Amino acid sequence: MPHALLLKYPGTNCDAETERALSVAGFSTQVQPIATATPAHVAQAQLIVFSGGFSYGDYVMSGRLAQLETERFLGDSLQKHHADGGFLFGICNGFQILTKLGILPKASLIWNRSERFECVWDRLVKVSRSCPFTQFLPDEFELPSAHAEGRLVCEPGDAQKYLDHGCVALQYADNHNGSELRIAGLQDPTGRAMGLMPHPERFLRPRHHYDPDWSGDSDWGWGYYFFKGAFEALK
Amino acid sequence: MPATYHTIPIRDLNEQALAQLSHDMKLSLSTEDMLVVQQIFRDIGREPTDVELEVIAQTWSEHCKHRIFAATVDHSVNGQTEQIQSMYKTFIQRPSKEIMARKPGFVLSCFVDNAGFIRLDDKYSVCLKAETHNHPSAIEPYAGANTGLGGVIRDILGAGKGAKPIANLDVFCFGAPDTPQELVEGHNIIHPLGIMRGVVHGVRDYGNRMGIPTTSGAIQFDPAYIYNPLVFCGTAGVIPQADIAKEMSPGLSVVVIGGRTGKDGLHGATFSSAAMGEASAAEDQQAVQIGNPIEEKKTLDVILEARERGLIEFVTDCGAGGFSSAAGEMLSETGGNIYLERAPLKEEGLQSWQIFLSESQERMVLAVKPENVPELQRLADTFQTEMTVLGESNDSGVLRVWHSGELVCELDNSKLHEAPTKHLVSVFTPSPAHVGLALDDSHLTDDLKEVIGDFAIVSREPIIREYDHEVQGNTVLKPLAGASADAPQDASVIDIDGSDKLMSLALAILPEWGKTDPYAMGVGTVDETVRQLIISGTNPDKIALLDNFCMGNPESPTELGRLVECAKGIRDAALAYGAPYVSGKDSFYNYFETERGPVNIPVTFLCSGVGVVDDVQHVCGAPLRHRGSALFLVGYTEDEIGGSVYARRHGIVDARVPQTDCAANFVTYKQYYEKALTKGLVLAAHDVSEGGLAVAAAEMAFSGKAGVQIDLDSLPSQHGWSNYVIPCFAESTGRFLVEVDEDMADMFAQAMSGRPCARIGGTTADDKLTFKAGGRVVLQAGIAELKHIWKHGLTPYY
Repeated sequence: MPHALLLKYPGTNCDAETERALSVAGFSTQVQPIATATPAHVAQAQLIVFSGGFSYGDYVMSGRLAQLETERFLGDSLQKHHADGGFLFGICNGFQILTKLGILPKASLIWNRSERFECVWDRLVKVSRSCPFTQFLPDEFELPSAHAEGRLVCEPGDAQKYLDHGCVALQYADNHNGSELRIAGLQDPTGRAMGLMPHPERFLRPRHHYDPDWSGDSDWGWGYYFFKGAFEALK
Repeated sequence: MPATYHTIPIRDLNEQALAQLSHDMKLSLSTEDMLVVQQIFRDIGREPTDVELEVIAQTWSEHCKHRIFAATVDHSVNGQTEQIQSMYKTFIQRPSKEIMARKPGFVLSCFVDNAGFIRLDDKYSVCLKAETHNHPSAIEPYAGANTGLGGVIRDILGAGKGAKPIANLDVFCFGAPDTPQELVEGHNIIHPLGIMRGVVHGVRDYGNRMGIPTTSGAIQFDPAYIYNPLVFCGTAGVIPQADIAKEMSPGLSVVVIGGRTGKDGLHGATFSSAAMGEASAAEDQQAVQIGNPIEEKKTLDVILEARERGLIEFVTDCGAGGFSSAAGEMLSETGGNIYLERAPLKEEGLQSWQIFLSESQERMVLAVKPENVPELQRLADTFQTEMTVLGESNDSGVLRVWHSGELVCELDNSKLHEAPTKHLVSVFTPSPAHVGLALDDSHLTDDLKEVIGDFAIVSREPIIREYDHEVQGNTVLKPLAGASADAPQDASVIDIDGSDKLMSLALAILPEWGKTDPYAMGVGTVDETVRQLIISGTNPDKIALLDNFCMGNPESPTELGRLVECAKGIRDAALAYGAPYVSGKDSFYNYFETERGPVNIPVTFLCSGVGVVDDVQHVCGAPLRHRGSALFLVGYTEDEIGGSVYARRHGIVDARVPQTDCAANFVTYKQYYEKALTKGLVLAAHDVSEGGLAVAAAEMAFSGKAGVQIDLDSLPSQHGWSNYVIPCFAESTGRFLVEVDEDMADMFAQAMSGRPCARIGGTTADDKLTFKAGGRVVLQAGIAELKHIWKHGLTPYY
């Protein structure tokens, strides 16, 4: 059974529901507070997960302190995990952390164009076809989002490069937060590392859709398929 | 650090000097109180320390002791006087105990802990608590609201051996955001728009960072709230039933976890028990605490993990009164020692009383067996928060507070709980309550556009979106729904991990009604809460309520008279619905002295309800589902335009406010629940409340899935009406509008037989709201146009 390690920082708050999603998809799971995490924990896992929340309050650039603390406790073991074929998945604040760790293509997630926190369902478009996380998802689907700092920006020209090189996993249909090229999720060229702003773990079952007449899938919410996709690729 | 305290001679002071001392030390104690304090120390045979006086002042503060709800009140109505011995016992506790006796096993704990607990299933319990943070929010809206929510979350963390917070609710009462600046009198008064933005952001930044979904809320606007905005914050939690009971015993270590102690939040409890004046802003800013949600999140992580590992014997929050109230709660019976020099401080130079009474945020106090201290310390280290052993319990029966080897406080707690009973006088004179007023029903469409754009009705979407209502992944019935997730909902329903039952939350607040008929306000508010819960899928026999009262000056007999009448109403309604009050809170002195006299807030009653949804299949939302359905109205519509949004917009102040027959309503609700809702006959249901039937029908149609056609002549009514304003805009209680599939319509009518229920129309394909009467169209508007007015009512201010 593939094992998933979820790293928890002070202020991480979506760990319980993300662990539930991993477990429903088939993973054995472990939530590990960062202060007691070691490279040995990383070595035992096939998937490292960074869940949503406000690590260290996000009072400085979101994800930045979590990056520094991760490097302090885990050194380069995450990079090594990745190079050795391991998977990494970052959701919301976890996406922000993964971009800071340099495992995903270089980008920053800054304040939304509206300059406010927005809890809203986003319509998403699947772009990359090489991402195990999105392999079971349709071309267009919905997920709930909730963030203040989700607007993806890159150095000039980078966003187009990511799109051209298959590193854009998901785009927004409506682009509430004003991201460059409507980018909602990034992956590395292999697809083994992925991050996105919306919250797949919050749409595990059909009843968690806002509309009781939703008929996209009879058994599961779209979010389930991210975890299922990773599980099938790793099992 | 040496102890810094003083002995304060009071035994030989005269009344005037005692009053002066209370004033100088900001104790907020009356002369009568000070005389009792003096006697306590004459009996002990020594002078008090400043620490002891501060402890007594905060223990006896209105905030902590609820002395007005415990007072003896001589209440007169039309010259008839009755004496009420404690409004709390008479109107809240006694009926609740009566209901609990009728329903054994439902309420698992109430009146003793931080929150009331009800049974969810065989294993779990859910609890709810709501508080106000009014005075701090008036002075510093962001920090005031921030710490208001932080405080009520800690109440839940300190409920039982540590409940897990699973939902927040917030209710605000403000001056209108478009209030002209010149109408805001006095210096240092923050404009309602500034209050609103600051408060919303304060709640947002705490709730979101804590990872607790904010699923329910409401806003009311009234000019009287300009000076005294009301900020209610509530939190619901879940806990295994086995972890509800907690008990102190000798030999436990008393531990503080979380934030450090500082000078922020001094005199918070006594400050909130006095009126606001223009001097408040400058003088009382130190009474407002500074919030740090991440510190509280770490503390939450430690407590929930420690509870699961069985490390906690007792836990309570450090709220009003800080260590003094937490230690008092834990050690007043067994006895014990607290060592102030051990408390981690934010800064040097705090005096002894400041350490003991500071209301610095994010601190929780636990009692653990000494052998479990190392494991708790490891948990604190793991989650990167601070933990300190502050003292221990013993079997002396006396709480002793030490500071660097000196005894700074030694009080026999049994004496402290005997605060002198207040004696108050209240008067209520019923207002005129006319029916049959000549109202112009020739432009109902324009009236609807006006009512639906009123601040009391418009969408709270800009605020709702700033709060994460989906975190934890369990929100089944969300605050916004419909085809484009922007139509309103009544109750919210939350999945509970590990259970096949769900928790529901609803609330109601109708301050406008209380201006003419506070009894009807009390009853109607409870009715609306219960009604929303049941039509959203809650089992009618599994509902518990919270009472939160706010008012102006209780020493004003007419103001207090309205409160008494309201309290009578909520007693009667609770008894009829079999829904006990399991927790509550009150806030007084919400009035402001302007140059032209005092501005009192209207007597305000927030009713929050928590219930159990037995099966996810019973969950039912408000937005319309499809075209071609039948629409039924349940409940009588009567000539009761008083208190309505329509009446307020038209300056009508003497019309009858809706009267509620709770006993009859409850028969109807139960029949609806048992024979229609849980039998799968219902597509959608929405309560008819503020704005009346026209607003309710439009709101359902905001799902974007259908239009509505209604025949006003078919509404159930006992006494009828003389013009069509009534069926459109009267806010008669006990009503809800139900969408039923055409194929089920006959079965539904059959299921509701014998109750006030009629088919009044259906859903249409024309995307219009159409009301007919006497065979002609009397109101018609495009759903899109109405929705635009409703959806964007608050956006210009946001």
